[in-house]
Amino acid sequence: MPIYLYLDNSSVVHRLNPTVKVFALFIMFWSVYWVDHPLALLPLGLLMVAMAQLTGSWPNFYRLRWLFILLIFFTTLAWMVFYRKGPALINTRIIHLSRASLMFGLGRGLKLAELLATSVLFLSTTKVEEFTAGLQRLGVPYRVGFAITLSFRLVPLFIDSALTVVQAQSLRGYEFNRGGPLERVKRYVPVVIPVFMGALRKANNMAMALEARGFGISAVPTSYIDYPIDTRDRVAFAALTGLGVVYFLIYYMGYGAISVN
Amino acid sequence: MKPRESDHISAASAAALEGVSFTYAGGGRAALQQLRFELRRGEMVGIMGASGAGKSTLAKCLNRIVPRFEDGEFGGVVRISGRALDGERVCDIAPMVGMVFQDFEAQLFSTNVAHEVAFAMEQIGLPRKEIAARIGPALDAVGLAGFDDRDPTSLSGGEKQRLAIASVLALRPGVVVLDEPTSDLDPEGKAEVFALIRRMREQGLSLVVIEHEAEELRNCDRIVVLRDGEIIVDGPPAEVMIRLALLEECGVHPPDVNRVMALIGIERHAASIDEAEAIIRARYPRLPAVHEETAAITDRASAQAGATVEDTPALLRVDHLSFAYPFGPRVLDDVCLEIAAGEFIAIIGQNGSGKTTLAKHLVGLIATGEGKIKIGGRDRATLHAAETAHQVGYVFQNPDHQIFAATVADEVAFGPRNFGLDDAEIARRSEEVLSAVNLTAERERDPFLLSKGERQRLAVASVLALRPRVLILDEPTTGLDYREQRRMMGLIGDLNRAGIAIVMITHTPWLVAEYARRVVLLRKGRVMFDGDVREFFTRDELLANSSFRPPEATLLGRRFGVAALRPDELADWITGHA
Repeated sequence: MPIYLYLDNSSVVHRLNPTVKVFALFIMFWSVYWVDHPLALLPLGLLMVAMAQLTGSWPNFYRLRWLFILLIFFTTLAWMVFYRKGPALINTRIIHLSRASLMFGLGRGLKLAELLATSVLFLSTTKVEEFTAGLQRLGVPYRVGFAITLSFRLVPLFIDSALTVVQAQSLRGYEFNRGGPLERVKRYVPVVIPVFMGALRKANNMAMALEARGFGISAVPTSYIDYPIDTRDRVAFAALTGLGVVYFLIYYMGYGAISVN
Repeated sequence: MKPRESDHISAASAAALEGVSFTYAGGGRAALQQLRFELRRGEMVGIMGASGAGKSTLAKCLNRIVPRFEDGEFGGVVRISGRALDGERVCDIAPMVGMVFQDFEAQLFSTNVAHEVAFAMEQIGLPRKEIAARIGPALDAVGLAGFDDRDPTSLSGGEKQRLAIASVLALRPGVVVLDEPTSDLDPEGKAEVFALIRRMREQGLSLVVIEHEAEELRNCDRIVVLRDGEIIVDGPPAEVMIRLALLEECGVHPPDVNRVMALIGIERHAASIDEAEAIIRARYPRLPAVHEETAAITDRASAQAGATVEDTPALLRVDHLSFAYPFGPRVLDDVCLEIAAGEFIAIIGQNGSGKTTLAKHLVGLIATGEGKIKIGGRDRATLHAAETAHQVGYVFQNPDHQIFAATVADEVAFGPRNFGLDDAEIARRSEEVLSAVNLTAERERDPFLLSKGERQRLAVASVLALRPRVLILDEPTTGLDYREQRRMMGLIGDLNRAGIAIVMITHTPWLVAEYARRVVLLRKGRVMFDGDVREFFTRDELLANSSFRPPEATLLGRRFGVAALRPDELADWITGHA
């Protein structure tokens, strides 16, 4: 299984300057953040669908399809139950369903799905090295940026080792899902310890290899890839800024909220 | 003129240690003791020795990982190109001394091959143009030209390690240190990396190579053998390789050809199979010329085993098993296999040929798709985990994937306890298996403080405690030195003699030749060969296609038309036919 989500296509988005891509990630989060109403979230969702098409990112969405489905389904359901405002359509002791709770639930589900979709799009079109370069350009120190991007590499390695450990212990007759919640957490000790010890060893090996490659000689290393800013990037930057302003205005003027009545 | 301090080190010195001692923080004895070592320019030095002898510590002194990265007490002077190091960080040494580690996964940080090679050059601040100009030649040098845009995680083990070497070479260091670069590789990857090391040597790089298998170091200029942090032998291969007893005592696997020659009374070194053949023929001129047919050596052990196998019903039966991961290619393709009590089977094949996937099917870690697996005559799919575990045990390649308990005894008791055995029975079994793996004295120790070899034996013990009738071992000797390997295999042999069927996944030719009686060769998920080990080693076309190189004793035997599996066997044959 490939570890990264990056898809080696050559769409316009792929070719954008990494700084612009990091900026786009921020603006999408920002826009999604300000509005709650499904109708206000819809244009952003459509924009993401268009981007997925443009960048050829559908395989990644397919890989994560269950995450999206579960996220939308459960968030919508949960908020429908807990959001008890507005005139009731159905009202029992447990369930209070109103137009407002339906809208709010749907909005929350969409919102989370859009945050996830933004991340998937970003990772599908941005190499880890570009991410570091983009962060660096935005003023994040190289070491911090590198640490963030390195964690992308480590997580799949740890998941892999955790799966192996679970297999090894289950062959020794260990059952993980037994007892109450606290008991269950405790039952993961035979997994957590080997994974943790393995992670320490791996991290130590990596740190050694990094220094042996000269990591740390210079606080600002040079970059093999040049990331020039051209017209395309300027246009994208302006459009994104516009999008951010528009969504703030939608919020500010009260259009993004859900009316209770 | 008053001689300078460094004058006894020749001008051609690439790297040197002068009276270097190091004791790891918390470690009792010194890892290195007053060590003197010199690497001359353009020289290739092989370093051998048992686990814990100080090989890696010596290597790490050369680029300041010791003492800058590893905590401990350091004394002595390290010189690179004659200049004494003092206060430099590890990264400051990177342009002068390149280091390649065993764990290739932990040395790759980038999402594409070109970036990976660029990484170190970016760190030391080379200008973009220079970086771009060096990437091509570096990839070319390691045989990865054209791989620029590939994702490193998609490369084979051998390719990953060659990529790690390319990124070190790009800095153009004078000295390259390779610390067991092939320990985690399959035979093909191993051959690739050693071919590359030979090319690096031809180009005049100064090389230090740490390696367990002496055969691979025959082309070195010098071999240094370490024991307990001290150099006990330092000389050309021709002098070192004939000191067989000493090598074995130091945890080194001596080359087969040297062992054969010593056994037939020839006290000389042979640098290759050709040379060994010539020397032996000169001494024993009446030996037959190459036969068309390979004569079989009657092997009483396998003849006996064969008899037992035929009489017993299969413990495990695999019927037309096929398997593919979702959206992936077929990993197993119509595999049929029967395993009877008392068998000793080696499953071999390149990485990705389906060995581990097959083994995981046998214990139920993967649900069978097409085909059937029967354990003790019953369909595996209908068996409970406990029933399977009492029939088939599985020891993972890395013991650290299962060890977690506070004491050795607790670790062993974990399995039996999960299956609800009573305390008396658990105690009885723990004693039994700890004694079988020779860890009784360590029962109260913390498993994390044991050596790799001991941890591997503990992992075997904790699986044995469930008393399986078939034991599957995935690469049981990876990362062990020769002495530990022998010990581990001795233990597995004992278990086999006690009636447990052994299924061993391995890449190591001599293990297959010396211990297994039956070989199952997988290629792309298909069984290409399933039969007697001796017959397997005479099937040249199979061997060539599977990139599995027979042990040198076998190759040398074939020169005389005999299918020998072990050096002593071949030596007996030679003296018998002289």
